[in-house]
Amino acid sequence: MKPAPFAYQRPSDLEAALAALAARQDSASLIAGGQSLVPLLNLRMTLCDALIDLGAIAELRATRDMGARIFIGAGVTHAMIEDGLVPDASNGLMRKAAAHIAYRAVRCHGTIGGSVAMADPAADWPCVLLALGATALLRGPAGDRIVDMDALLVGTYETSLQPGEIILGFEIDRLPTSARTAYVKSNRKTGAFATSLAVAVKTDTFARVTLGAASTRARILQATSAALAAGQDLATLEPIIARDVTSIMPQPDAYLQNLHETCVRRAIAEVLA
Amino acid sequence: MTTLTLKVNGNDISREIEDRTSLADFLREDCGLTATHLGCEHGACGACSVLVDDRLTRSCLKFAVMCEGANVQTLEGFGTDPLMHALREAFHEAHALQCGFCTTGMLITARDLLARIPNPTEAIIRDALAGNICRCTGYAGIVHAIELAATKLAPEKA
Amino acid sequence: MGADAHSSDGWIGASLLRKEDARHLAGKAMFVADVRLPGMQDIAFARSQIAHGRLNGVSKPSGYEAQVFTIDDFSSLQVLEAGPELDAFRQSPYPALASGKVRYVGQAVAACVAPTRARAEDIADLVAIDCDELPAVVDAIAAMSPTSARLFEGWPDNAYITRTIGAGEIPLMKDAPVRLHRKFRMNRQATVSLETRGCVAYWDARLDELLVYLSTQGGHVMRLGLARALGLPENQIRVIAPDVGGGFGGKNRLLPEEIAVCAIALKVDHPVRWIEDRREHLLASVHCRDHHYDLTICAERDGTIIGIEGDVHIDAGAYALWPTGSFMEASMAAGNLPGPYRVRALNVNTYTVATNKAPMGPYRGVARPGACFAIERLVDELALHLGVEPYALRKLNLVTREEMPYTTIAGLKLDTGDYHDALDTAAKMVDIAAIRSRQSARKPGEKRIGVGFAVYTEQSGHGVVEWSKRKSRVVPGYEAANVRMLPDGSVNIHVGVQNHGQGHETTLAQIAAHELGLHPAQIKIRYGDTATTPFGFGTFASRSIVFAGGAVGTTSRKLAEKIRLIGAHLLQADPKSVHIDNGTVVSGAGSVSFSEIALAANVRQEMLPAGMEPTLEMTGTYEPKESAGVFSYGAHAVIVSVDEDTGRVEILDYAVAEDCGTMINPMIVDGQVQGGIAQGIGTGLFEEIPFDAAGQPLATTFADYIMPCATEVPSVRIAHSTTPALVTEYGVKGVGEGGAIAPPAALANAVADAFRDCKASFNETPLTPRRIWEAAQAARGTAP
Repeated sequence: MKPAPFAYQRPSDLEAALAALAARQDSASLIAGGQSLVPLLNLRMTLCDALIDLGAIAELRATRDMGARIFIGAGVTHAMIEDGLVPDASNGLMRKAAAHIAYRAVRCHGTIGGSVAMADPAADWPCVLLALGATALLRGPAGDRIVDMDALLVGTYETSLQPGEIILGFEIDRLPTSARTAYVKSNRKTGAFATSLAVAVKTDTFARVTLGAASTRARILQATSAALAAGQDLATLEPIIARDVTSIMPQPDAYLQNLHETCVRRAIAEVLA
Repeated sequence: MTTLTLKVNGNDISREIEDRTSLADFLREDCGLTATHLGCEHGACGACSVLVDDRLTRSCLKFAVMCEGANVQTLEGFGTDPLMHALREAFHEAHALQCGFCTTGMLITARDLLARIPNPTEAIIRDALAGNICRCTGYAGIVHAIELAATKLAPEKA
Repeated sequence: MGADAHSSDGWIGASLLRKEDARHLAGKAMFVADVRLPGMQDIAFARSQIAHGRLNGVSKPSGYEAQVFTIDDFSSLQVLEAGPELDAFRQSPYPALASGKVRYVGQAVAACVAPTRARAEDIADLVAIDCDELPAVVDAIAAMSPTSARLFEGWPDNAYITRTIGAGEIPLMKDAPVRLHRKFRMNRQATVSLETRGCVAYWDARLDELLVYLSTQGGHVMRLGLARALGLPENQIRVIAPDVGGGFGGKNRLLPEEIAVCAIALKVDHPVRWIEDRREHLLASVHCRDHHYDLTICAERDGTIIGIEGDVHIDAGAYALWPTGSFMEASMAAGNLPGPYRVRALNVNTYTVATNKAPMGPYRGVARPGACFAIERLVDELALHLGVEPYALRKLNLVTREEMPYTTIAGLKLDTGDYHDALDTAAKMVDIAAIRSRQSARKPGEKRIGVGFAVYTEQSGHGVVEWSKRKSRVVPGYEAANVRMLPDGSVNIHVGVQNHGQGHETTLAQIAAHELGLHPAQIKIRYGDTATTPFGFGTFASRSIVFAGGAVGTTSRKLAEKIRLIGAHLLQADPKSVHIDNGTVVSGAGSVSFSEIALAANVRQEMLPAGMEPTLEMTGTYEPKESAGVFSYGAHAVIVSVDEDTGRVEILDYAVAEDCGTMINPMIVDGQVQGGIAQGIGTGLFEEIPFDAAGQPLATTFADYIMPCATEVPSVRIAHSTTPALVTEYGVKGVGEGGAIAPPAALANAVADAFRDCKASFNETPLTPRRIWEAAQAARGTAP
């Protein structure tokens, strides 16, 4: 179980990374922590001609606390978030989520940007960042741009990143201290990928409920979020949750439908408690 | 091919290697350090655990070239480290190994845990081991050994 | 307990810390993948991507012709006849590399050699396998339909063998007052030793022999198979099994890759190495379980069991593995259906069926986890049907101590023990009444709680009688030990069993220490090298402590007698008046040390009694006085909580009351019990290799094949009782497999108990959250 050959570059700054990416165009993959990509390469389930390693770029690990917002560099590892080494705007939601990603060894290397760029439908960060209303800061040949998480996530292992673009990091609005958050994951065993993942964020003014592992990408449950923001109780929400879940599942599956509804219901119950 | 320069168990090493060589294969095949075992090569079993710059690492999930300039520690490299010493003793006393294949990864994972959390609860220990497969022991001895090591180390911390 | 602690009886029964730990803890063990030889090259296999197909040809990639081997490159390789020696068992010739047809996804077709494994895989990716795809046979029951595609031309159907196992008062079952019909399924899994299989081989010119490093449970038997396959005399093959990272049955068969690696070693002028990767392991190593039961339990109205009838299908995969194939699986599944109960009639049709899946081999517990699952679920279903406590129904039907020895309806002679006591102890450990009151106090929305029991027996130490009854090609009816005291009085003991985690270096040294009056530290146990050890069958079937323990004990005893006689001579004492004590021979106030005795025996023969042969070395074999086997047993009790919305099960408590006869090292016994239960939990809740309709396996990595870890396996509470076996040395019985037998049954019974109000039935392993949810929905009448 060894990967096919590839060329390897380890640029030491962003400029060099962008240049390397531009030179290689589509044939290159970026690698950060590698915790999702390397297994696929080892299994030869993913092939790439060249790997551009972002691991030496200190700039990508930058974090900034701007008061109303924070910025987390794409190269920040799950463990740095788990250990509280970076600013938090989520009332602890991100720290909790980070601690539930795979295993400590994976968390020590896997990065938030890598997770989003990989766009695994069951991954934690897309679901969490979507619920937090985060935006991604991208840099590419045409300069910098900012995209909503909802626009960045496209499908299974698919984002709207353009050729030559790199995720620099994420801007996250600070939640009011009164905001409630919940993170409910169902999986086969500790550390395994989610079978269902529901995240809920509720403030006095808005609510956002997201669901992962149910569709080709993490989704906002729109009707549910609106009803929750409008102050509906759980009993009223239940049929709305059911409809939202049905609408995002690629095909009917009674067990998964019930599981997703359960996780969403529990997340909402937690933010309402 | 890339010339890789790094520190392994305190020794400066410089080798020309294929870019696709995993850190695990580099350690095993190029450095002859066979304490690092390969049980799955896709990051799910923990047998290949090592420390890279003090970070717990699955050496099958890193290409060696990604470790340029790093300080890598394998089970062979812990010398008189008191945490590892206590864990080794405790693993022996608590019958925490049978075939021994997972043991190196368990020891390194356990050391990482105790270095961060000196007095973990049973639940924390189990959670820290959640990505390390042992097919023989049923984990009871391993969990107990880590508790035992933590207890033994506690007075020194006080 | 420390190294100096031992019971007053000596070393038997001491929880001596293990001698084998130090090298593993230091990272200095040597597994096959750690063998380093100059010029060694790696092998990767090109494997079939399809389940069933006619193989038209294999194209070697241009430029790599000399590095790629197909079956056509090995004209003299012999295909080993495998399976039991029964005319009714149809042959399924399994070539080292595919020939004529491919019969499962992952079957090795070509072997590619290169300086590194990565480059060997590059070549394997370029090998073109030209196949005409044939319909895949993936369902063992449908495979028996006359219209099913056939794996082997010339077979009248897809069964390796079909047999009816019937005994007792079969007519009683037809009109039994209670007849309860259920279907059970234990799905396919892999053995998953953490060290995968592996083989390093080269021709040693000086010794004029093929040297094979092999991760195996039994090097001598593998050499026998390799010699026949390769056409070499056995004295030109040396098999070394260094440290072996678990086997669990999976390393007790000679697999085609291993033959291919050796055949390549004979053709090239450098060592070759194949280390199975995890995907290969899940694809193409020994698969196991895959039992299908369609049974009716017949009983009196009070719950007294009358009999069991029905069908058992074993999905045995595409080939029979050498030596004994998977036939044992069906016969043992049927034979163990009566379990530890008084059953008056048994009438079971067994079908061992060929399908387009990897071949089935043995796995810890062989067949009994399936049989235990079936009978113990039937007992619980019967209890539910009759409205009685499953515990009470068990008590009504369990064989009593007074009935021992008790020959079951299937002919197994349950030798000693107290099954009622085991069940009572386990029941006390979990407190059924407390569970019942927790259940009735449960509020809506809270998790459900259930308690489940399973009682099992574990045949071990069976020899000639049992294995020849099974028509085994290799009859592991004895083990041998060579006990040698060196001139300084230290001891080397060579045995033919293979330690791969069982702690033989410790337990066998304890036995020898007990007999020789030495400290175990002075005794070294050696194994795993056909050049140095006496012939033996290896470690499987919970046999090593009975057979190898017996061989070490009896041979050491004989050597001790010779030592005593030499000691008496050196002391100029009457042999009747001297005894051995702590490394010396003592006569009154005088004593002589073993080192003096050993020096005399080995290098100063003039000091020996007249006519006595020099050296202190003896080789002896051992088989128990009766070879039908001795039965360990136990009762498992598990409490689970079930989240009925997600179907997730959590184990809240797991208690075991077990009896494996005399324990040589209780610490190691506990380790075997706990470890076996972890594997049983894997079978019961997590591990499964499903296949799609085209025969593609759907779990080929640990992302899909779920392995229980420390967060899924609780620490088990274990109570021991000790009823020594009557026919073995020290009264020992085997203990390796027992832990793995009962958990699937106990867990399913506990989950069913949690849903007893709606009578949901949980009859398929693993009990995944989906299966649990769907079964509960079905019971509530809201079919999913």
